[in-house]
Amino acid sequence: MKDKYHILYALSGLFLVTSFFSSCKHQEHEYHNITDKIEAESKDYQGISISSEDFIGDIKTLEISEGAHTFLIPERKSQIKSYTCTECHSKSLAQMQNENEAKKAHWNLGLNHADANTMNCVTCHDGSNMDNLISLTGNTLDFNYSYRLCAQCHTNQFDDWKGGAHGKKIASWAPPRASMTCVNCHNPHDPGFKSRWPAKFNTQTEKERR
Amino acid sequence: MGDSIKKWFSLNLGNSNTKPSGSCGCGNPSGGCGSHNSENTDENAIGEERHKDGFEQVFDVKMDRRSAFKKLTASLMVGAGAITTSCSVIVGDETKEKAQIDWEEQFKGNYKLMSDEEKKGTVDRLVRSYQLRTGKTISMSSKNAEEDVLFGYAFNISKCQGYMDCVTACVEENNQDRSSQMEYIRIHEMEDGKGFNFNEADDNYYHEVPAEGHFYMGTQCFHCDNPPCVEVCPVQATWREDDGLVVVDYDWCVGCRYCMAACPYDGRRFNWSTPEVPEEEVNKNQHYLGNRMRKKGVVEKCTFCVQRSRAGKNPACVEACPTGARIFGNLLDPDSTIRWVLENKKVFRLKEDLGTEPKFWYFMD
Repeated sequence: MKDKYHILYALSGLFLVTSFFSSCKHQEHEYHNITDKIEAESKDYQGISISSEDFIGDIKTLEISEGAHTFLIPERKSQIKSYTCTECHSKSLAQMQNENEAKKAHWNLGLNHADANTMNCVTCHDGSNMDNLISLTGNTLDFNYSYRLCAQCHTNQFDDWKGGAHGKKIASWAPPRASMTCVNCHNPHDPGFKSRWPAKFNTQTEKERR
Repeated sequence: MGDSIKKWFSLNLGNSNTKPSGSCGCGNPSGGCGSHNSENTDENAIGEERHKDGFEQVFDVKMDRRSAFKKLTASLMVGAGAITTSCSVIVGDETKEKAQIDWEEQFKGNYKLMSDEEKKGTVDRLVRSYQLRTGKTISMSSKNAEEDVLFGYAFNISKCQGYMDCVTACVEENNQDRSSQMEYIRIHEMEDGKGFNFNEADDNYYHEVPAEGHFYMGTQCFHCDNPPCVEVCPVQATWREDDGLVVVDYDWCVGCRYCMAACPYDGRRFNWSTPEVPEEEVNKNQHYLGNRMRKKGVVEKCTFCVQRSRAGKNPACVEACPTGARIFGNLLDPDSTIRWVLENKKVFRLKEDLGTEPKFWYFMD
């Protein structure tokens, strides 16, 4: 008789212990949190069948490698209306300044970027070769890689952009990554976003809340 | 699933190849229509309906006379309509086809449990039905979740300027009702130095933005990995897909709004009236689980634009944002930008302590 009770106790004890352990781990939730899940499930990530190439469309891109990041950005030079610039700007800036009757070009362009102590036209444009840009130390920079010019001062934004926290991607989230470059969103002569009216006002919510 | 064994009864109105199968009036070959009392009709606890599919979900349930009559009336209305049209010699083939579609749609199963073929079937019916009613052709997808994809979203609070371009794009993309102006996205204008104070935030501002001394943040469905809305749904009309999207089968939703009560983020919206979109503004690129036209009395919400994201495109809000405050991508791709944000920025989520595991992170520059 006593043995029977023993077995009963042992069984119920075993049942309690197993139910205690099994109840902690919910069947449907394999992972403790989303970070664990991402880490575990991305270990054998093989790539996906979707490609961003179908969505980039006619946009010409070029591949850049910055640090550990390699991605596509839109090509720029073919988008500039009257490139090459030297088709008009045949003389260098120094020559033009010496002439008495200097013709004014791009008079409609203002510069609303930093202040006059920091920047003027030739901080970025090469006065002796208008087809290219120029770095702070006087090196030639291609218009296609104008982000390198911006990165001279805006280092934090540059880091975020390389990683993907700053800026927008072109059309698709899928690889290969294609991101917009600085000048696709910011006008380099006036880079700030302007204050404006919101695109939408919800009249119904307004009514309901009154 | 072949033609001979179907999960639900189909009525042949003379213009379709499908034939009702089975030995009894309900057409269910497994004998679960209620007139045959099999053993398993009695054991029907909540949560068990996941093992039953299609036709059985509706009929293989123990119910009292009152609810049985209720269900029957709704079905009879469709049936009566179908029979009158099928018996009439005057009505054209189109009307018969419409009745056939209505019948099949009335008795179709839960999308979650459908095979790919059945999914395609219902999508084709809906496209045809829209064509018969409006004369316009839409394209509707039933694309399943891609392997090795888990969608995630990040929102940069320091970039958002409150322009609301995302809201406009979302409404247009997702065919949301224009008159009720129910919007999936809310942009909250918050005072600097007060933190996230949703009680004092203004989510319906109208003045030039960004306003001095304020910051902006957007909320929408966060596609929780442990979604409380899914747990409470009494009919399993909402669930989490393999790519992390929390979706709704609008045809299975009974409109009880439990999910809206359960959502801690106010992510869901309800159609109090039949949603209306001007015909020329209807987005014809649709997905069954996404922006197809809804009906009155069902719940809907952000789906990360399933019709776009599953195809590979960014959601409409991400594309519309002029400041780049919205980042979307595949959490399982170690080289994706969303992963870089999660690993390198100081990210947080709303009400993290609830354990809902939203896949929507906020961060600052």
